[in-house]
Amino acid sequence: MRGWFRQHVLALADAFRHLFRAPGNFLLNVLVVAIALTLPFAGLTLLQNARPVSERVSVQPEISVFLSVDAPRDRATALGTAIRRIAGDGGHAYRLDFVPREKALDALKNRTGLEAAIDTLGANPLPDAYVLTLEQPQGNADARRIESVAQKLKALPDVEHVQVDSAWIERLAALIRILRLVLLFLAVTLGVVVVAVVFNTIRLQVMTQREEIEVSRLVGATDRFICRPFYYTGALLGLIAGAAALVVVFLLLQPLNTAIAEFARLYASEFRLVPLDGGATCALLALSALLGLLGALLSVRRHLARAA
Amino acid sequence: MIEFRQLSKRYPPDIHALTDITLSIGKGELVFLAGASGAGKSTLLKMIAAIERPSAGAVLVNGQDIGRIKPSGIPYLRRNLGLIFQQQRLLADRDVLANVVLPLVVCGTSRQDAERRARAALDKVGLLDRAASAPQSLSGGKQQRVAIARAIVNRPQIILADEPTANLDRESADKVLDALKAFHGVGVTCVISTHDEQFLDAANRVIHLRQGRFVESWRRQSEVQA
Repeated sequence: MRGWFRQHVLALADAFRHLFRAPGNFLLNVLVVAIALTLPFAGLTLLQNARPVSERVSVQPEISVFLSVDAPRDRATALGTAIRRIAGDGGHAYRLDFVPREKALDALKNRTGLEAAIDTLGANPLPDAYVLTLEQPQGNADARRIESVAQKLKALPDVEHVQVDSAWIERLAALIRILRLVLLFLAVTLGVVVVAVVFNTIRLQVMTQREEIEVSRLVGATDRFICRPFYYTGALLGLIAGAAALVVVFLLLQPLNTAIAEFARLYASEFRLVPLDGGATCALLALSALLGLLGALLSVRRHLARAA
Repeated sequence: MIEFRQLSKRYPPDIHALTDITLSIGKGELVFLAGASGAGKSTLLKMIAAIERPSAGAVLVNGQDIGRIKPSGIPYLRRNLGLIFQQQRLLADRDVLANVVLPLVVCGTSRQDAERRARAALDKVGLLDRAASAPQSLSGGKQQRVAIARAIVNRPQIILADEPTANLDRESADKVLDALKAFHGVGVTCVISTHDEQFLDAANRVIHLRQGRFVESWRRQSEVQA
């Protein structure tokens, strides 16, 4: 075990020795890899920030049924039976809430702060309403059912307007799904770029150290002994570039948050972009190191055989 | 200890480097391989170190057929050999001590122990005071002695030296030869290729090769005829 540990410490020291021999080249390679990693890391940070927004708001479809302003209360409450029959058709689960016009007016006053302006109107301009919450749609059939329920509700007497409230949430969720796919594609593409850059870096290093490799082989070095420092070099390159990319993303969030804060204030929101948490940061660093290791592994396998 | 059985080596398209060599080298022998350039001396040494593989026949070291060793087993074979080349092949970016330490490091010897043994090896070749020097700052003869120190630091059973005195002046060549003889004196088998007739005079046993073929093998009068 001590021997194994010693060999790895030696390989790591050897990797550092070669890095410090040409620090300019190494830093340039770190820069290239860091640029390639910054884009997917920034995208992931944005998605991680957007996810709570889309998840916090329920995607359960809500249908608001607004009645005529002149519909009397007894007819309005009686309409609940018809709405329940339509919503429960086929044994589907639902929840139905009646929102009296007085309660709606109070809510409007509280939310907007336009109490004085509303008071000048005199009579309550809002109608009675029902809010029907259905099961979360599982597919196209469910989506069609929501549309059909909305159509049936529109046909009921005293119903003035029917609004499917959750449509925009579904659109947002769909958009995030698309963005996630785009990000995945971007991450895979740039991951290949990282592997290619490390591959080339290690190729050049194998060529530079050809004499050392040959002599090591002649004095009894195993392939594992020869390869190890290159693996560490690749992993170090990936790790340092990953850390640099995360720092860049962190720095970019500051000016972005200034702009977002102003925008969010218009919607009475405190929304801010936050950096990735510790777990995600460690995972990305590990992934960067793994990409570097993969590049080194492929390069060493290919070029060491040629050097033999 | 080393046995060649009908050994042949051919390079494409049709170069016969060695043809049908059959001979043996006993434990503790000091053997010179003699012959003109292209006689096959270097190829024969490379066969022992598994740098080259036979086209036909076999090379046996301590009864082990070198041609049948898997590639993963070759490093372990070489750890029992001390290799010395005409061009010393010292690493220019490391000091003398680090060059000599290398065979021990690849075996997993601790840094402390490796440096102690490397200093002892340098002492044996008279270069302990140059341990911290860069190899390129030394003369050719001294570089060759550093190469010898690197070859013996692992206490090998066999030393293979390919033209170790070529490109050296007489005085340096004598020192290199003396160093090799000293290791032979402690029971190490030494196989040295040379075309320097003067060294052959001092040899215990000489194997002559010509155009890849074994010509003759002779020992000093006190030795038994091969």
